[in-house]
Amino acid sequence: MAKSVNATGQRTMEGNHKVGTVLATGVFVILCAFVAFPLLCGLLASFHEGRTIISNGMSLNLDFSTASLDNYIYLFSGNADSQKYFMWYKNSMVLTVETVVLTLLVCYFIAYGLTMYNSRVGNFLFFMVIATMCVPFEILMLPLYQEVQNLGIINTNAGVILPGLCGASTIFFFRQYMTSLPKELLDAARVDGCTEYGISVKIMMPITKPAFASMAILCAMNSWNGMLWPMLVYRDTSKFTLQIGLNTLLTPYGNNYDMLIAGSMFGIIPILIVYLIFNRFLIEGMTAGAVKG
Amino acid sequence: MKKAKKFLYSQKAAPIVFCLPFMLSLLIFWLYPLVTGIVMSFQDVTFSGWEFIGLKNYRKLLIDKTFHTAVLNSVEYMLLTLVLMIPIPLLLAVLMESRLTKAKGVWKVILYIPALTSVVISGMLFRLMFSEGSGGQMNQILQFFGHSSIAWLKEKVTAWTALLLLCMWRWTGVNMLYFLSGLKSIDNSIYESADIDGANGRQKLWYLTLPMLKPTTIYVLTISVYAGLSMFLESFMLWNGNSSPKNIGLTIVGYLYKRGIENNDMGYACAVGVVLLVITLIINFAQLFATGTLSFKRKED
Amino acid sequence: MKAVKTISRREFLRGSAASAATLALAGLMSGTALAEEETEEDVAITTVGPDDGTHFELWTFMEAHSTFYAEMVELWNEENPDRQIQITFSTYPYSDMHNKLMMSLQAGSGAPDIVDIEIGQFPNYSGSDSPLYPLTDALADYEADMVQSRLDVYSLADGTRVGVPTHVGAAVMYWNAEIFEQYGLDYSNITTWDEYEQLGLDLKEASGGSVYLTTVDTGGTDWIWLAMAEYGEDWTGGIDGTPEVQLESVQAMLEMQQRWIDEGIAIVSTDGIIDVEAGYSNVMNGVLASFPKAMWYMSRFTSYMPEMEGKYDITPCPVFEEGQPRSVGLGGTGTAVTTQSEDPALAAEWLAWAKCSEVGEEYIWNVLGFDVCNASLWDDDDFAFDESNVYNTFFRVQPYSVLREIKDEIKTVYTTQNSVTLNDYFNTYTANEVLEDGMDVADALQELQDYLDVELM
Repeated sequence: MAKSVNATGQRTMEGNHKVGTVLATGVFVILCAFVAFPLLCGLLASFHEGRTIISNGMSLNLDFSTASLDNYIYLFSGNADSQKYFMWYKNSMVLTVETVVLTLLVCYFIAYGLTMYNSRVGNFLFFMVIATMCVPFEILMLPLYQEVQNLGIINTNAGVILPGLCGASTIFFFRQYMTSLPKELLDAARVDGCTEYGISVKIMMPITKPAFASMAILCAMNSWNGMLWPMLVYRDTSKFTLQIGLNTLLTPYGNNYDMLIAGSMFGIIPILIVYLIFNRFLIEGMTAGAVKG
Repeated sequence: MKKAKKFLYSQKAAPIVFCLPFMLSLLIFWLYPLVTGIVMSFQDVTFSGWEFIGLKNYRKLLIDKTFHTAVLNSVEYMLLTLVLMIPIPLLLAVLMESRLTKAKGVWKVILYIPALTSVVISGMLFRLMFSEGSGGQMNQILQFFGHSSIAWLKEKVTAWTALLLLCMWRWTGVNMLYFLSGLKSIDNSIYESADIDGANGRQKLWYLTLPMLKPTTIYVLTISVYAGLSMFLESFMLWNGNSSPKNIGLTIVGYLYKRGIENNDMGYACAVGVVLLVITLIINFAQLFATGTLSFKRKED
Repeated sequence: MKAVKTISRREFLRGSAASAATLALAGLMSGTALAEEETEEDVAITTVGPDDGTHFELWTFMEAHSTFYAEMVELWNEENPDRQIQITFSTYPYSDMHNKLMMSLQAGSGAPDIVDIEIGQFPNYSGSDSPLYPLTDALADYEADMVQSRLDVYSLADGTRVGVPTHVGAAVMYWNAEIFEQYGLDYSNITTWDEYEQLGLDLKEASGGSVYLTTVDTGGTDWIWLAMAEYGEDWTGGIDGTPEVQLESVQAMLEMQQRWIDEGIAIVSTDGIIDVEAGYSNVMNGVLASFPKAMWYMSRFTSYMPEMEGKYDITPCPVFEEGQPRSVGLGGTGTAVTTQSEDPALAAEWLAWAKCSEVGEEYIWNVLGFDVCNASLWDDDDFAFDESNVYNTFFRVQPYSVLREIKDEIKTVYTTQNSVTLNDYFNTYTANEVLEDGMDVADALQELQDYLDVELM
């Protein structure tokens, strides 16, 4: 008797569990559909004439008879527009690589200086790191714009990169990572006659590799997708990044709509590839601040 | 010379050298523009130079209805994103962590993808989806249910549906990941002891998970407050510019951009920026006190 | 930070290799695109003219304009071997270009030598401390032949010319003749708005409501300008005036449009105005049968609506009361020389020649399709009715014959320093409130006036 009750109970629980799994899977499937929908529509739209889509909206029609690769052929045709697009593409790549390398190196050393020495200056500076996080960038934007102009670095990559070089969140992340590392390593190296700077490069940097990976992707993503500040700094069409360039295609005076949608879709690809390879580092980089508060 | 070199290599000097770039950056690219911005907000900046005009910019802000619209929009947007973007991702994260969910890795990877797209691209996609033409997806869906096409981006309710959906589309996955990492840091043993005490699922969620997620929630709350109040590009892309019908999409930063960059009224725009700073700080401090992160009685604790 | 997993060497290498491959792939593609540059003829125009010529920078927001200027540089260099010039062109999006121009002029460096400034933005540069170079001398040879009101809108308060106009932009009525023929209706003798409205009601009945008479704008002020010109009013109050929007003309036009919407003979333009993709699509699909717009809209037909060839007719606009003037100059671009230029006199001379001489005007009319400002050419049949000009065959009428008819009726509404604020509020609020929400016109205008009074105090 008791045995059978027990068995039924277990079966019900197992049943509940299965129903739960189906429900949970359902929730995530719907969610993924919600996520995928605009992107798929964009992808479909990229096979249709741009002007129709701008005037009439992105259609749900799966009409393959009018679909064509024309937009992509145009994009890669090597004509004036296509050259412009790949010029922006290249600019974005160069800017992204420069930003990532410089930001990571500078922030690493700053975080090292803040973490590895128990100085009062360090503590004060760390407090300032937090303080800079409390002021939205948009507030500094206009005076910063004038300043960059006065410094003569307007319309250059330096103008885009320098103001954000010592990114508070990147420093913060490196610091969080380093505080968990044993400081004894440093003393051992000092005994071996290594200089302070030697230690930071030869001993610590290899250990912090995962932190570099996380921050590199996050930084690359922000740089690749950056818009507001680069839009103010760059003046020449030849210096525009992909995002600014794509935005210019939306104006009524340009009429490059065919390139706009195909170009947008193609513009997601690099960051998507990097993400698919490194996604767990990205996630860890992003969420690092959340756990510790 | 040698002494100087020796000092440079000493343990005392090293942190200063390491932090030098930060100190410079702090002065040049943070403190200086911050102070200039505040100073400029008391000025009238024109072609021929600038003129100190005292509180005139601020007095004008008090009666500037467009500015009031912008502030209300930003605050409203921020509050709505808080309502939507904290509970939903939190519950999703709990669901994701539960034993019920299979193939967790796949969901996580997919849900994060929208965050990779730039505002330019995602804004454009949503603009086209919510196009007022009869061919836009949303209008096609309406037509499917026998409703006629509507001009989505012209009325506040429908336009904000688009705006909030855009926000949810991009950030639900990210916020969920925040909560997931928060959940991971919770020690499993407390659930085990709760199981022994016979707590059911809902009790565990309410009395264990939620309180344990407090630091994460505060973090998400803080960044959401910032992101919500300083939202601009989403609206800029959705309306393909800074003007929307009856300014339904105008935000504080949008107004700052309009005044400073489009109308070239730097002084007034800086005053807008200062107001934004004050609002942000007030809300954040209020929030930090309310959640107990900061407290007047800290020393007694 | 226990949460951060360590990264294995192999994983790291694999990832790096994949990223490198991605970068290389993209690089390769941009490489192929760039390699074809030399063979391809139609590269984006960037610099035109010999390297030893005097160098100028030119900014514009219309790609077609730089093609025109490039042509004029070549011609100038042929005619002036001893005064060669070289110009580098940059085309920016509309708002970007004006933002950048303002910033660089304020900063005192970085501005171009020559720049296209849209009429709505022009007042920002023609104030008391104008950073623009005086063009009065350069324009002296052409002054007498030009449409004066077009020069006036690009002048300083003391009359100094600082901008060269591109076109008159005379407002005319565009009619889809095919639609009216189909329903047996005659539009050709419509002279007043009352008759126009009646035509709309007839069209609605004949077509069963499938065709609208017109679309009205929530994103532009063209209709209002036309009304003001007909009544001889100006809501800016003139160059140094105070804005006054509670005018008979504005009220009449808005009330009339509101009534059209109620009667079902008009709808609000998709995306606000007719000069956008959605507007072209409405024109092409026969959603609307007529609309008033500037002469330069003809080029939109040839560029974006070539299917409409032979279907459209052009006439003067209807008026409220017979005898009123029937047109107004709409839109425009004033090209200016900035004081930052190193050889402003040469730049000014080239500019005036390029845009006002017969050679230049021929290009402006034949290629860009604009109604030229050099009115001495209007009566020249060889110029105006040249059969090789696409616009003379595209429409059911030769455009300059309409232009000759309204020559003395093209009035001006000023664009002043207050215009940006005025138009901005009108487009974001007033037009939407009246046309979308059905708000009382007098109330909406009162609200607009109150706003302006506060804003401009």
